[in-house]
This record gives sequence, C-alpha cells and structure tokens, in this order.
Amino acid sequence: MNKNTTIERSTRFVNRRDFIKLSGSAVALLAEGTLSRNVLAARRSRRPKPKNILLIITDQQHLDTIAAGGCRHVRTPALDRLKTHGVSFTQSYSANPLCSPARSSIFTGRTSSEAGVHVNGRPIRSGIPNLGQWLSQQTDYETFYAGKWHVPRTYTSDIPGFRVINTGIGGFGYLCDTVMSRACEGFLRNRSKRKPFFLVASFMQPHDICEWLRLNMDNPGELRYPQLAGELPELPDNFQFDENEPEAIRKRRLGNEPFKGNWDKEQWRYYLWSYYRNIEYVDAEIGRVLQALEDFGHAKDTLVVLTSDHGEGTAHHQMVRKSSFYDEAARVPLLFSWPGHIVENKTDAVHLASGLDITPTLCDYAGIESPANMRGRSLRAVFEASAGSRRDFIVSEVTSNTGRMVRTGRYKYITYKDDAVEQLFDMKDDPGETKNLAARSRYASILAEHRKLLKNWERRLDVPPNVPNADVWRRKG
Amino acid sequence: MAKKKSKRTIVGLPLTPTLLDELGALGNFPPSSEDFNPAGNWVNTYRIWTCHGYRESGNDNVGFLRIERLINPQRSLTLKVHQEVLQTDALVNIIEATVDCRNNQLASPIQWKVSSRFRGADGKYISELSSNNNSVAAERLDRSTGDWCLFEAVQRLTFEKAPLLVFDMLEGLSLLKKDQHLSYRGLYPTKIGSENIPLHCFVQLGSGILPCEYWLDDHHRLLAVVSMNKAYILDEQAEKITR
Repeated sequence: MNKNTTIERSTRFVNRRDFIKLSGSAVALLAEGTLSRNVLAARRSRRPKPKNILLIITDQQHLDTIAAGGCRHVRTPALDRLKTHGVSFTQSYSANPLCSPARSSIFTGRTSSEAGVHVNGRPIRSGIPNLGQWLSQQTDYETFYAGKWHVPRTYTSDIPGFRVINTGIGGFGYLCDTVMSRACEGFLRNRSKRKPFFLVASFMQPHDICEWLRLNMDNPGELRYPQLAGELPELPDNFQFDENEPEAIRKRRLGNEPFKGNWDKEQWRYYLWSYYRNIEYVDAEIGRVLQALEDFGHAKDTLVVLTSDHGEGTAHHQMVRKSSFYDEAARVPLLFSWPGHIVENKTDAVHLASGLDITPTLCDYAGIESPANMRGRSLRAVFEASAGSRRDFIVSEVTSNTGRMVRTGRYKYITYKDDAVEQLFDMKDDPGETKNLAARSRYASILAEHRKLLKNWERRLDVPPNVPNADVWRRKG
Repeated sequence: MAKKKSKRTIVGLPLTPTLLDELGALGNFPPSSEDFNPAGNWVNTYRIWTCHGYRESGNDNVGFLRIERLINPQRSLTLKVHQEVLQTDALVNIIEATVDCRNNQLASPIQWKVSSRFRGADGKYISELSSNNNSVAAERLDRSTGDWCLFEAVQRLTFEKAPLLVFDMLEGLSLLKKDQHLSYRGLYPTKIGSENIPLHCFVQLGSGILPCEYWLDDHHRLLAVVSMNKAYILDEQAEKITR
C-alpha cells in the first residue's frame, strides 16, 4: 500500500462520522503512514507469508457467472470451490474494461493511462515494473507465466520478469486453455515443494464469445438447435436501453453484431446460453489447475487469487463485449483463497475493489513494499480484520483514455471526453443502471462531489504525454 | 500518412463444411471408400483448424489429431490417440493416449493412459511440464464416454432420428462434462469445390461445451467435427503442421 495515498485519502474523504465507524485495525492501517519504513518492514515480516502464489486470470468474465455466487445458468464446480474456500468481492471492478489496459493495471498497480496502455497492444511504460519483475527482484519467489499476456503481445515466450512456461494460441480459448492448464498441471506435478513460486495462469476463455459473435452475427430467424429452446436464459430486466446515453456507448452498441445482424430476442438468449457454456469451459480448466495444486501437495501453501480483465455485456442494455462502464462489462470476479489464513466462504459486498489492488495485495502477502505510486491498495486488511477500512471510491478508465467511471459506495458516475451527457446511477436503488440521475437537480451536489473526486484523482496521476487526452482529464471537473 | 485500414469481413454464420470450404479450410478429403468399416481397424487423422470469425484473416491450422482404432481379442476396442497443438513461438503440446473402450454405443472408456508433453522451439522436450495419468474407470458405466471416443463411436451410429444418446463425457480423459446429448440432425447438401456431397450431421450439446457437430459421409466415415470456432478436418497430410 502506498502510505502517502492512504493519508491523503484519510484526510480528504473520510468525515468524522465515517472515521468513528472505522475499526481499530483500519485506524492502525491509516496510521501506518506515520510509521517508519523499518517498523513497517518488521511488521510485514512477522505476518504469515504464503509459500506460493497462484494468480488465475480469466478473460471477459463478468462477476455474475459463478453458480455459488447465485448464477443459475452455469455449473462451475471449480469457481464454486474457490469461492467457498475464501473471500470473494462483489463490488470488484476492472480498472479498464478492455484486455491490455486492464492487464496493465493488474500487473502494475497503476492506471492504464499511467502505464501507457490506453488501448490494446501497447507495452507497459518503461520504468514501471510489473509484478513478475518486482517479485523476482524483491523476494525469493520464482516467477512463472502461462497463457495470455497482451501487453503488448497477446501470446509470447518473452515476458519481462517471468519465465514463460506456456505461450498459448492466438485468440482461441477452446484449444489454448486446455493446453495451458495441462502445462500448469505438469508444472505443479514436477515442481519441488521447497522452492516458492509465483505462477500466473492466464486463461483465454470466456473470450471466445467474441468469435461466437462473429460466427453468429446474421440472425438465422430460427434457433439452430430447437431442442435448446427450453434451456435458454431469460433476457435481463434491463435489456432495454436509454436512448440518451453518451454517444460513445450508443456508437459501440450500434457497431456490435446484434445490431448489425438485427437479432431477435431468441438470438440474444442463444448468445447468453453460449456465453455460459464458455464459462463452464474455463471453469473445468481452472479445476484442472486447482486439482493439481491439491494432488501434488501445494494447496495448503498457496495463496490463490482469481480475477478477470473485464466482463461481458450479457445483453444488459443490449450490450455485448466490453469497453463499457455498465456493471456487466466492468464488474469482475475477485476471489482470494489461502487455507487456514483467509476466512472461508465470505462474500464481501461492502468494500469496493479494483484490478489496481492486485499488485499491492500480492506485495503485501509477499512481505514486501509495493512499487512506488500504487493507485490501488492492499486488500489484506479486509480479509484479516473484523472490518477492513472502507475506501471511498474507485476509478476506472476506458478505451483510448476517453472515459472515466467513479464508483462510490452508493453511486456510479460516468463521463466521456467531449460529451455533455454524463451518467449518474444510484447503485443501491437502481442496480440495473436504468435511471440516469445526472440531469436531475436534486442530485446536483452528488454529481458535483463525484466530479470533484475524479478531478482530485486525476491530479495525482502521472500520465505520459503520448497518451491521448491526458490533459482532458486533468482539467475536467 | 493515414493508416490504411485492413478490410475484414465478418463470417456471420456458424461453421459448416460448406462454409469451411468457402473459407479455404477444407482442402481435399481423402478419397471416399465403400470399404470403410467403422467397426474395423482404421486410422483417421484430422487437421485442427481455428477461425477468428473473419473471412480474410486470423484463421489457421494449429495442429492435428490422429486416432487409430484397433479391435482386440477381448472383443473390446482400443483407441490410440496422438494430438499435437502448435502454440505461439513454436511451442508444441503433444498428447498421447491409449484407451481401452467397451464395444458399446459410446465406446465407454474402461482404462487409459494419457501423457502430456511439451516440445520447445529448439525441438527439445520440457521435462518440467510433462504429466501422465493411468486410470481405470471407477465403475463400469455405460453412460460415459470421452471426446476422442466419440470420434469413433459416432461412426457406428445409424443415420436416423433415434432417441437421444445421453451421457457424461471425460474430455481429454481428464475433465468431466456432465449431461451431454448426442442426436442426429439430418442429411445436408454440402457444396465442396464444384461437387455437391450430401453429408450427415450429428450434434452434441451439453454443459461445458459449445455445440459440436459431427459430419459424416454415406460410408459413416467422420469427415469433420466442428465446434464454434474450431474444426477437425480429415486430412492425411495433417501431421506436417507441427513438424
């Protein structure tokens, strides 16, 4: 955790009443900023450290895709097992709901604009270490990578800071994930239990829904497999969309296959059914890796973390794919499990979490300081204290640095560059994000507060000049 | 200079043999033979082809699957499986399996040996990623099969809208996918090159998989297996891909 950030947050955003509500441990956490580096290092070294860390990343998995989390449309024994054996966050957001940018934030703890990865296929800016580089420099973990990377190359045998044990196949989760999970299984089978490892297992699925969309764009007018008619999921309550959305969203929707192909409701439902089968597919591959952890004696010594780079539109607001701040594209699973050390079967619906938190959290568990200028924070206190310190907001970015989302405990604020239409949703009363409150006068002060949070957040960022729109966000408020 | 946008056309439709041919994926099937006996000894080799969803780019051959069927003296059957999948930067995954199967409708696995190895760009095997597994089916279940077993079993089914086959599937002889259904879809006119060849289609639906279509000729020889963006295409030259 970055101590300076914590202090700043504590003085700026925590009012007196909220402060009193904070637990003793949270107050202690805030006080960390005043402790010397040596004291903090000593404190870290006394806390248990997992022998191994396994970071599992899926691609394009929305939060609501886990049977044990309440999704009725899937069977996910592996994800269920992880969820019931640890802590899962339900208010967990991608730092940027697009592949490369999201991954840059997961692996650096910096915003995608700071990392210089504002679009797909950009490398992480030099001078910002990724988790593999940092852990291999600062700890005795050997660092390994399997599967999709995408900063910049999607699949590569050359990832700074990691030894790549499996590269993957461009774009095809169906084959790629099977090969990758077999490589991880082999790795775990042959790995000496004496040597600590940090392994990233980065799956491609359920991203194949992108190929599915291209191979099913043209509305067939009838269900290809009539026997599925009784199995298709219902359309979501917020299937309809607001005609007065920001232009970026409207354009994105019209450019997607359902609108190009003039889908009827049955085709939408068939799309949902297909997405859930991809979820089940990756669940089985994750299961192979978790089983290997168990079978080869690593399970008790391994902290397992699972997240996804971004979600999937899943027909809400008639959206598919990503690059939107609606919850389906922006909210992702975030699960932590470490037998005997992290409380089991806990669903945390209170704390806001972000992909930006993964680097500081893993550094915290590894017993080291995070790299400088973390924009997220360690979530360890949330697992280990009776009540962790509640942050006030998180921020996400979107493609080409053109949009921002501020999520506070109750509201979600969305704004795009050069677009007068802002969005403000009351996530408690309207979790489906159907009523934009931004133009209603009674919400003017809430809107202003969120704009201010964003402005202050942006001022702290160190965005390189070659990232488009950097000035826009510094000015905007 | 303005960046030139490459023009790509979305395929738009689910893959079928006709579409595979249009996309240049099919090549030539090995010559058809009336002597083909699905219940005899045979070897089928399939090229593994993947589709990115565009007509012009991103579609590629990524490996092969060879299945050899051997009748053994105990009147059961043995499948010898060899699959190679080529990954980025010339890393190859090699799966080899020997599966003893019941001689039932689903070729239910009785016992099997599976190994997974990886070969690096330098041609050397990466021993730290190898794994192998010898297993015996926990029970003598008639309702179970494997994905490779289905490549065999589907060739012995009759082309009629018989009741559905319902089963659990051990994918790669390791991952259990429950509640699978296999049914005959029908006979479809299929345009391959300048020829019109009627092909029979079975479809498998179930948990953890996208619909999987098995396309066979009149002699019950399995020509192609298509599941969403992946196709196994019968091709005697397929082994060249990873070598």
